[in-house]
Amino acid sequence: MELLRPSSVEDLDGGVLLHGGTEVVPLLRDGLLDAERLVDVRGLVPRGVHDGVIGAGTTLAELEVEPAIPDALREACRLAASPQLRNMGSLAGNLLQATRCWYWRLDYPCRLHGGDRCQARDGEHREHAIFANDFCASAHPSDVAAALVALGARLRTNRRELAIEELYRLPDEGDRSTTTLEDGELLLGVEVPQVESSTYLKAMDRKLWSFPQVGVAAARVGGETRLALAGVAPIPWRIGGVEELDRATPLPRTEWKVPLAQALVRRALAALA
Amino acid sequence: MARLIRTEKEVEGRFEEVWIVVEEDPLEQWPEGPLTVVGRPAPRKDAGERVRGEARYTADLRLPGMLQAAVLRSPHAHARVRRIDLAPALALPGVRAAIGPGEAHGLVDEAGFAGAPVAAVAADTFRQALVAVEAIDVEWEELEVVLDPDAAVERGLVTDEARRYERGDVEKALAGADVVVEATYRTQTVLHNSMETHQAICEWQGDTLHVFISTQYIWGIRQAVAETLDMPEDKVRVVCEFMGGGFGSKNSPDEYTFVAAELAKRTGRPVRCALTRREENTSAGNRNATIQRLRAGARRDGTIVALDGEFTNSVGWSGWNASTEGPMRMLYDCENVRTVTHGAKLNTPPMKAFRAPGFVEGTFGLECLLDELAARLDVDPLELRRRNYAGSNDGTPFSSKNLEECYRRAEPHWERRHEVHARSDATWKRGVGMASQIWYGGGGPPSYAWLRLGSDGRATVVTAMQDIGTGTRTAMAQIGAEELGLPLEHVEVVLGDSARGPYAAISAGSSTTPSMGPAVRAAAADAKRQVIEIAAQRYHLEERVLDVREGKVVSADGNLSEPVQDVVGLLEEAQILGKGARGPNPTGMSVLTFGVHVVEVAVDVETGEVRVERVAAIHDVGRIINPLGASSQVEGGVIQGIGHTLSEERLLDPETGRILTTSLDAYRMPTIADVPPEIICEFVDRPDEHLTNLGSKGLGEPPIVPVAAAIANAIRDATGADVHELPISREEMLRALREAEERAREKEKRGAPAAV
Repeated sequence: MELLRPSSVEDLDGGVLLHGGTEVVPLLRDGLLDAERLVDVRGLVPRGVHDGVIGAGTTLAELEVEPAIPDALREACRLAASPQLRNMGSLAGNLLQATRCWYWRLDYPCRLHGGDRCQARDGEHREHAIFANDFCASAHPSDVAAALVALGARLRTNRRELAIEELYRLPDEGDRSTTTLEDGELLLGVEVPQVESSTYLKAMDRKLWSFPQVGVAAARVGGETRLALAGVAPIPWRIGGVEELDRATPLPRTEWKVPLAQALVRRALAALA
Repeated sequence: MARLIRTEKEVEGRFEEVWIVVEEDPLEQWPEGPLTVVGRPAPRKDAGERVRGEARYTADLRLPGMLQAAVLRSPHAHARVRRIDLAPALALPGVRAAIGPGEAHGLVDEAGFAGAPVAAVAADTFRQALVAVEAIDVEWEELEVVLDPDAAVERGLVTDEARRYERGDVEKALAGADVVVEATYRTQTVLHNSMETHQAICEWQGDTLHVFISTQYIWGIRQAVAETLDMPEDKVRVVCEFMGGGFGSKNSPDEYTFVAAELAKRTGRPVRCALTRREENTSAGNRNATIQRLRAGARRDGTIVALDGEFTNSVGWSGWNASTEGPMRMLYDCENVRTVTHGAKLNTPPMKAFRAPGFVEGTFGLECLLDELAARLDVDPLELRRRNYAGSNDGTPFSSKNLEECYRRAEPHWERRHEVHARSDATWKRGVGMASQIWYGGGGPPSYAWLRLGSDGRATVVTAMQDIGTGTRTAMAQIGAEELGLPLEHVEVVLGDSARGPYAAISAGSSTTPSMGPAVRAAAADAKRQVIEIAAQRYHLEERVLDVREGKVVSADGNLSEPVQDVVGLLEEAQILGKGARGPNPTGMSVLTFGVHVVEVAVDVETGEVRVERVAAIHDVGRIINPLGASSQVEGGVIQGIGHTLSEERLLDPETGRILTTSLDAYRMPTIADVPPEIICEFVDRPDEHLTNLGSKGLGEPPIVPVAAAIANAIRDATGADVHELPISREEMLRALREAEERAREKEKRGAPAAV
């Protein structure tokens, strides 16, 4: 294995991108990522908040105390992972992290790994999705992504600019990936619009160091209220309002997430008022 | 005089008849209450070493030339090795040896669970060993996988015969009862997840095998290794200086020790075999899941007339059928009790003892059932427990029992419930629950200690026991210091090496202090007797007027006050050697520990979040040696119990039987943030007058026993919801809340006046 430290974005030429390492290193260790070449991009990705743009290399620990960002994002950072992980983990890495689905993490031949069935649907799925779980029942683990979706953030890469919702896609038969990022494409910055108010609420199975059972981000942007959920679908999931949860399609052991999400959405909306 | 006796020996609730030689134990117990050193809070003697990282755990050891082993484990929950080829592994760089099924004890050709050890490799680095293990070519024949405990019992797939117990006539008593409550409780599989994983380093020096191992039982390892390898026991040396957690899972040598020994023999090098965190989660033992189908019958006045329980332990591929029924048999005074306990043999990892095995699970069922009964009878739960207080253990007297005193001390905590209820609001409901604790913890012989007193007036306790992290070094030093009349800082404890001290008991079953403490005191008394004899001759005084206090030899009239080192210093480099042995347990008596927990919780009824806000733990374990260490034990037990109750669960894939929670992010132990703001520890601290020269019982296990039931009962008090399953996840909490709501609605409907 070789480790490269390119000095400019133009020098990028394949390989597995490495920033904080809190996701990539465990995946390498578990054999889920095969990397002949690791590319340390810490020198290429901006860090810190400048003129309303958050460098994609900013750590979660820096963001959880950053006054210049909306509450929802700050809270989502604060409630994520553990202090040790937040000290290392970058904003971009958090957005691009893979699911915690145990079947995927243990390398079962599941649909996300290119296989022909979702073991979680028939098996142990109590932490899994309640929306869009037909093909793959995994739940998206990023608190930060849900917050940014609710906030209507825009992303900047070395190739394009896109709305954060365009970063994510539901996996299907033809393409099993959950993001639209191309090979060699690097997240550089996140632009968060001014919002009137925002919040992030998170249910965990212990007080910290837990992925969201359900996370709810809510933001009031230009008079419009936007809601996005973590932990309920294979990607961050937008809903129009609490009533949309009546149309959830939970699996037998994820039914409990529906009333939980309803309660959190109501609380989040109340907090915006 | 040494006395040969046949006696019943108890470890972790299991009994066997054994021959033992016991020495008379002529020492009178010390008076009740704090003494000079014993009964006073003492910080751990090894705290500095531990926090500075100087304490050498087995995981820290790196012997010169040491190789690293990795183990090939079955990916299937049940499969036979049809063919295995080690050659591809042996061809890889750094690989020094490889062994397959049958070549080391524990490596099997029929894997009964996913994670069962099959083959192993030793290499220069651990990474090389891991790569080599993956290269081993195995052809598996997959066999039927059985995961459902009820189905297993029905088909006769059991670890042993069902254990049946009955006193009185349960059916008749239930038929005549005013009230009968019935419920099924389920507890989950939980893992020890010790900080230091299971591991051993083996090194051969000539025909002597040195085993450095993370263990709770140095002498048990020595015996089991010698027997398995057909060696004299004296040719096996076992060392465990510091230990990073065991909780019952490190009582035996297991495959990693035999793998290291065999690979060390083949390579002529020391070999380390250490489980990874993943392996710790799949193959290192567990607290097995249980199903408990319970009934209780009572008269209107709250007298329990019948207790009936059918218990199924999901033991797994091996392990033993723990006494889940124990609390039902022993906790209350009830004439009619019937239990049957099945041990289901499943294709799941083996059960191992885990801090009060059986009783933690059984107490959850029984003590929740008791609160359901209290609710039906409209009797105060504390009052119900008092009305059914057991005066004996099914006719056998207790050596001591102060549970009533625990209840009395629980009252102020229990009384807080009115004020706690008042702090509820629309979403956060608050309540208080309690549960009683019963468990063993008397320890027993044999156990020995030596004590040497140097001419500098400093003493060293020498015994080949282990300190499994419970503060044993400190407690033993306190006992030695108290008896010898020396300040605590002048007494050291040397332990952890079978070649450097006498036999010592297992550190399991809450037995370390009650087994070892009396031997240490006897050794100190033996040394002190010699000091007084020497002083009597030197100062021409009678022995009976002399004593040793605060490091000085003193006479009753106060005329003599000589520092111990001046007396012993006469001998220059010579030493005074004391020797002590653990005396017998009282015959015809039940030696048990007792306690009660009162827990306050807050439940968010919309999101199912449960917070434990306050725990008052009151325990009766005889004399307390170190109140500070004892409080730490209780806090640790409560925290581990909170994990067991609220968040921890090992999950299996229901199709393949493979373990899904193999890391500490999937297997959720409580974090420091989950620790309740207040844990109050109280001890009755009354010596058991029938038990040894100390009157002390063990405290390792008691504090985890009542936690789950007390939390569940507090949840019922707060919300009216009956939780019947562990862990009380949000899923279970929301289910129980919905059920309670439906019940209330039903009741309202039935109770509503008919339309006119």
